[in-house]
Amino acid sequence: MLARLGRPFVSTPFDATPSVTPEVTDAGRLTKIAGQAFKDIEKVHPKGVYIVVDTFRNRLHLYEDGKLLRSAVCSTGTGRVLRDPRNGRQWVFDSPMGERVVETKRQHPVWAKPDWAFIEDGYLPPKDPNERFDAYSLGDYALYIGDGFIIHGTLFKSLLGRRVTHGCIRLGDEDLEFLYHHAPIGTRVYLY
Amino acid sequence: MRRSALAFISISLAAVCARAGDVPPEPTRVAALEMEAGLARKPLIYLFLDPQRRVLEIKSRGTVLDTVPLTGIEVVSQQPVMRRDILSHPPFPAVWTIQQGAGDSDREVIAPTELKPAPKMGEEEEDQAPPAASGAAQAPTPTPTPAVGPPASYRSRLDNGWDLWVTDTLPPQSRLKTLLAAVQDGWQRVFGEGEDHIPAITLAMTDENARRIHHLLRTGMPILVASET
Repeated sequence: MLARLGRPFVSTPFDATPSVTPEVTDAGRLTKIAGQAFKDIEKVHPKGVYIVVDTFRNRLHLYEDGKLLRSAVCSTGTGRVLRDPRNGRQWVFDSPMGERVVETKRQHPVWAKPDWAFIEDGYLPPKDPNERFDAYSLGDYALYIGDGFIIHGTLFKSLLGRRVTHGCIRLGDEDLEFLYHHAPIGTRVYLY
Repeated sequence: MRRSALAFISISLAAVCARAGDVPPEPTRVAALEMEAGLARKPLIYLFLDPQRRVLEIKSRGTVLDTVPLTGIEVVSQQPVMRRDILSHPPFPAVWTIQQGAGDSDREVIAPTELKPAPKMGEEEEDQAPPAASGAAQAPTPTPTPAVGPPASYRSRLDNGWDLWVTDTLPPQSRLKTLLAAVQDGWQRVFGEGEDHIPAITLAMTDENARRIHHLLRTGMPILVASET
């Protein structure tokens, strides 16, 4: 039997003591480097109102100077891939990750449906642009965060809290209205 | 809880600067702060692993967006039962980057076989009613497909050559269970089923936490590893 012994997993604790000794050890220079790094972080970290979206739990949080103003159930991207049977073109329905900015806001937004919205339903994208406009699907308000991603309303309220979108963030009516009125253009949005 | 998790800037790293004027700052902390400043300059998500506090923080722009408590951080390797090598681990403070992520290839593909002209605006598309079944009572009831969630245990390859293993269950380490695992592994190898794993930095956490960070561990995700001491 001993001859047949394999190699089991052996676990040893990760030593939490830093193991790299930086080249710079001069106290004055270290202070200067630390001060500069701190300023660099201070300069970019969010101030005022900002939005955080947890795409796994499907929750959107609105903060002002670190204080939570509102939490809402939302829907985020499915993570699926859609393939166009005509040419193999692909779309990945992920909500974006990282920092974005509310670029514009609109009341009663009209959605210009992109090609994938037709292809997903098994239709050819129309040649007439007028056939792409949809005045209902986005709800009463929309906050545009770049690259076609929008925080908007939904007709499918029962799907809030699930990953069902094409990358946009869907909110319920009241939460969307609150967000629209409290998040000005320029508000930073953090999605993870 | 949420507010404390969202405290501006990593407290541990900010503390370096708060004390910077009083006493000479610790070189490793300054190095970590400089690395974090480099990551915070970009509008991306990055992870902050603190082995001493046993937390993995999800951050952007120096701000903690969420915190994942760890139940353990271990170096896990496959070793013979009769011999134990003491493995070191990748040096830190450092920025590790996911080179091949566990979350890279878990996508469902939708591919319609053919496309038909879209109905005109205002036109009602004719519903294609399914053929009437002779016995309506015997018609099969569609059952919803269960949603497949991310796994609770998975490995990603790091750019430093190590694996990052996220798991909700660390391998058992009692003498008896280690011996049993060795026998099982030995038998698998006899039948050509054995699998070699390179040593892994292993983050143990609850299964829910393991699932919820799965999509973050995609290729290119930077992980700043730094400790308070």
